[in-house]
Amino acid sequence: MIESIFFYALIGTLCSMDITAFGQFMICRPIFCAPIVGYFMGDINTGFWIGMIVELLWVNAIPMGVIVPVDVSLISILATFWVCKYFFGLQEAAVFALVLSVPFAYFYRDMDISGRNFNTQIMHFVEKAIKSQKYWQIYAGIFLGLFLFAARLFLFYLFAMYVGGLIYSGLYLQLSGFILLGLRNAWYLLPIVGFVLVIKEFNIFRKIFFKDF
Amino acid sequence: MIKVYLKMFIRSFFLQALWNFERMQNIGFIYILKPFLDKVYIDKKSKQEALMRHTGYFNTHPYMAPLLIAIVANLEKEKSISKNDSFDTNGIKNQMAGPLAAIGDPLFFGMLRPLVACLSILVMLFFMKFTDQNFQRYAIFVPIIFIVIYNSFHIACRSWLMFIGFKLSKNSLSVISNIKTLMPILKYVGFIVVVFALFVYLLIFKASPTSNLFFGGKESDLFLYIMVFLFSIFCSRFGVIFLFYSVIIICSLVSYLRI
Repeated sequence: MIESIFFYALIGTLCSMDITAFGQFMICRPIFCAPIVGYFMGDINTGFWIGMIVELLWVNAIPMGVIVPVDVSLISILATFWVCKYFFGLQEAAVFALVLSVPFAYFYRDMDISGRNFNTQIMHFVEKAIKSQKYWQIYAGIFLGLFLFAARLFLFYLFAMYVGGLIYSGLYLQLSGFILLGLRNAWYLLPIVGFVLVIKEFNIFRKIFFKDF
Repeated sequence: MIKVYLKMFIRSFFLQALWNFERMQNIGFIYILKPFLDKVYIDKKSKQEALMRHTGYFNTHPYMAPLLIAIVANLEKEKSISKNDSFDTNGIKNQMAGPLAAIGDPLFFGMLRPLVACLSILVMLFFMKFTDQNFQRYAIFVPIIFIVIYNSFHIACRSWLMFIGFKLSKNSLSVISNIKTLMPILKYVGFIVVVFALFVYLLIFKASPTSNLFFGGKESDLFLYIMVFLFSIFCSRFGVIFLFYSVIIICSLVSYLRI
């Protein structure tokens, strides 16, 4: 189990780094990373469905200016990992995994903000290095920024996959029948709500007829 | 010089590696520009001054940054040749960063990405509908389709922006303003794709437990579409988290009442 957690934490780290630190090739998007984790864990269908729900719901989660958005890859990867690990193929368990992974993602966002504050200190260190013509420290600064970003993510994924997984499996077994039925219904209803949010983004009639909304 | 351009292009993917709240992408910008400055400034002091010039605040859309980098590189080259101190490269850079971000954010993150994601979801739904047992075998192609389509636009756009930035320098802005004409097209295409994806989704999963739960499976298609359309207008008043947890709580409550 420990080896598999290391492997999936590594995949998660690579995907989440794409949000800001490197590339922006969109491998961080749930529609890509959740099916990939699902594929490796042997249940690509669940990965797809989780990816679809998170992608559609958090369609607006983009880093703009000083806004640090919630890490949507973390939500989808954690949810896919937990459900494939503990309750393989169960739809209600997948929705419950999403319910639990969202607070984890918000917790990580606070960590990320602290990390970006620390980057300011590295930036000042690089600035001083340029003043004293030690240009190799520009590369050191960039490398350190990337390394700390990756380390922060990797450790958080390890923690969330292991400890979060224990909490998730423990809580899920305590859920009563009507909640499980509700979660199963939400499995089909959440994508529709997601489509609504995407239609809102593209709605060409909204600005014409409903300017105030 | 082509080697330097290539180096700058590859480094442009690391623009936000040291993103910070105080000056945002400044060190990333210096990191990209450095190979060019190494070439054009032979004098150590002028190179240091050039690098120090760019330690100030800088923030733009990462996909639009190659254009700005190319323009600034051209200006730095002119400055190194003419030894003219009246050039305000930093001012030009900061004036252009905001408008470029205002084009890049809605175009790439607001339109192109959701559009390609919806296309991938549509492909996935078709796979689910028509391949049944064999879905598992081919399903891995769906996320790959997403990445390939998106990045073929993304990387082509980044390299084109860098190319016209070097070629036209400040005049490239007139070309860039034409990009905005793409936005309404993407919006219309996006609307059609997402409505079609919803149509396919409802076609496949209409008989799901949710449908039976809320309407007893007797609602008409038209009613559903009207509900979705109206909700898409009013849902901007609610946050995603509120909507997400509300759906789950409402589903659980309805299940409880029916049991």
